[in-house]
Amino acid sequence: MKTISIDPITRLEGHGKIEIFLNDQGNVENAYFQVPELRGFEVFCLGRPVEILPRIVPRICGV
Amino acid sequence: MDNFEPKIIGFYCNWSSQMGIDSAGVEGASYPPNLRLIRVMCSGSVDPEVIIEAFKKGADGVVILGCHLGNCHYRNGNYNALRRYRLLQKTLEQFGLEKERLRLEWVSVAEGKRFAGLVGEITEELRRLGPLRQFS
Amino acid sequence: MGKLKFAIYWGAACGGCDVAVVDTHEKLLDIAAAADILFWPVALDFKYRDVEEMADKSIDVCLFSGAVRNSENEHIAKLLRQKSKVMVALGACAQLGGIPGLANEKRRQDILDFVYHGSPSTASQKGVYPQEITSVPEGKLKLPKFYDAVMTLDQVVEVDYYLPGCPPESARILEVVQAIVTGNLPPKGAVVGALDKALCDSCPRKREEKKVKVFYRPQEILFDPERCFLEQGLICLGPATRGGCSDPPRCIRSNMPCEGCYGPPPDVTDQGAKMLSAVSSIIDSQDPGQIEKIIDGIVDPLGTFYRFGLPASALRKKRFP
Ligand code: SF4
Ligand code: SF4
Ligand code: SF4
Ligand code: FES
Repeated sequence: MKTISIDPITRLEGHGKIEIFLNDQGNVENAYFQVPELRGFEVFCLGRPVEILPRIVPRICGV
Repeated sequence: MDNFEPKIIGFYCNWSSQMGIDSAGVEGASYPPNLRLIRVMCSGSVDPEVIIEAFKKGADGVVILGCHLGNCHYRNGNYNALRRYRLLQKTLEQFGLEKERLRLEWVSVAEGKRFAGLVGEITEELRRLGPLRQFS
Repeated sequence: MGKLKFAIYWGAACGGCDVAVVDTHEKLLDIAAAADILFWPVALDFKYRDVEEMADKSIDVCLFSGAVRNSENEHIAKLLRQKSKVMVALGACAQLGGIPGLANEKRRQDILDFVYHGSPSTASQKGVYPQEITSVPEGKLKLPKFYDAVMTLDQVVEVDYYLPGCPPESARILEVVQAIVTGNLPPKGAVVGALDKALCDSCPRKREEKKVKVFYRPQEILFDPERCFLEQGLICLGPATRGGCSDPPRCIRSNMPCEGCYGPPPDVTDQGAKMLSAVSSIIDSQDPGQIEKIIDGIVDPLGTFYRFGLPASALRKKRFP
């Protein structure tokens, strides 16, 4: 099966890629959107003092 | 963790604790060979950066030895050491290092035996904790 | 001389550094007049394949923001290093690990467990985690390897210059780019776009005496907006931070203590250790019990002293089992 990789997807914040699988007729059989990125704010914000959070979470996305 | 022999770095001040360590030798008090001693002028001159460096270079534990409070040759050096040590210990604990890996102890000239016992106790404690591991 | 060729990339980043580049406003056009941008995912549609096809060292300058969190970040960092003459670590994440580096206080598995299962807003099927390779009926899908720890850019490739800040001040980026365009570069390895002094040196706040009996959290006191934060018992990273974000310093100007985003000043390797010393030295007590109490007032020492610099610190890879 032929594949088309869109890697990376561009002009937006963050990392992403799309894999498109083509069947023998050249039509799209299936497409997968993937996010190859994780930083873990969910975890390292836990337990932090509340006054520190407004100074950390803006760095989730700065766009 | 059988047969694990911890590496311990000891920073000791040039005054009371130095004499205390010497007297351990004179009194024939033996202590485990795990402790590698580094002489500094005062317990207050051991910078946190140096302690972190010691852990980085492979120490499983660090002990700082100074004069008893009130007896520092430079008057306040050991108070400085005490403040830094507590703050560093708290920070390292948050990072996942057991607080037993960093110790601050006062040793006087008359405490050779106590010093030897202390090294034994710290070594035992670190054997129990095991090596400070590194990420792969 | 022909036009300079630039690449701008992000690893584990927030995009704020890219926005800081864009925030040079119309000056960006001057840059564009002097340079071609060959790769910039946030703004232009070039693919990794395009970079792979470039000749080695055909990019003059790569501005790399973001930390190295996974194998893709490392792979692209190496690819861009190979294709670029000059590699600039742009921003705190690339230079020091930055805010994403706070993850180094957690174990990899704990991060994955919480993000994909523990968090109340996630509804993953039991036992499902991202895999490096996933088989689907049509073929295989690949994801990067999530590393045990966050790394700085210079822990994976050679870095020529460091442009600090979270994000770097746009005016500083512009100065550095202009220096590059005109060939006025300092020796390799230098920190550029910042001062060679601690932040306190450019702070306009009144200083009297640094002796502290209580550390406060900002919400706990009404502080004097003219006086040094640290003297009032509010942790301010000025003594352990490089100056240069702006004049007066960015956060100080907004009546907030410095949190250290410009990294350590010259001759300091471990920003957190330096700050920890500075804080200990102003504690005004000789009583062990009271010292203990004062220190307990600092609620998150790791997240305060190492907010940006955990991966750059000697602590980086040391963890208990
Ligand atoms: S340094 Fe700050 S602004 Fe730049 S990518 Fe990292 S978090 Fe975002
Ligand atoms: S500690 Fe903070 S408030 Fe005080 S002088 Fe330094 S930068 Fe200014
Ligand atoms: S004051 Fe400190 S934290 Fe704020 S921007 Fe400047 S260096 Fe960064
Ligand atoms: S000289 Fe011994 S602690 Fe200062």
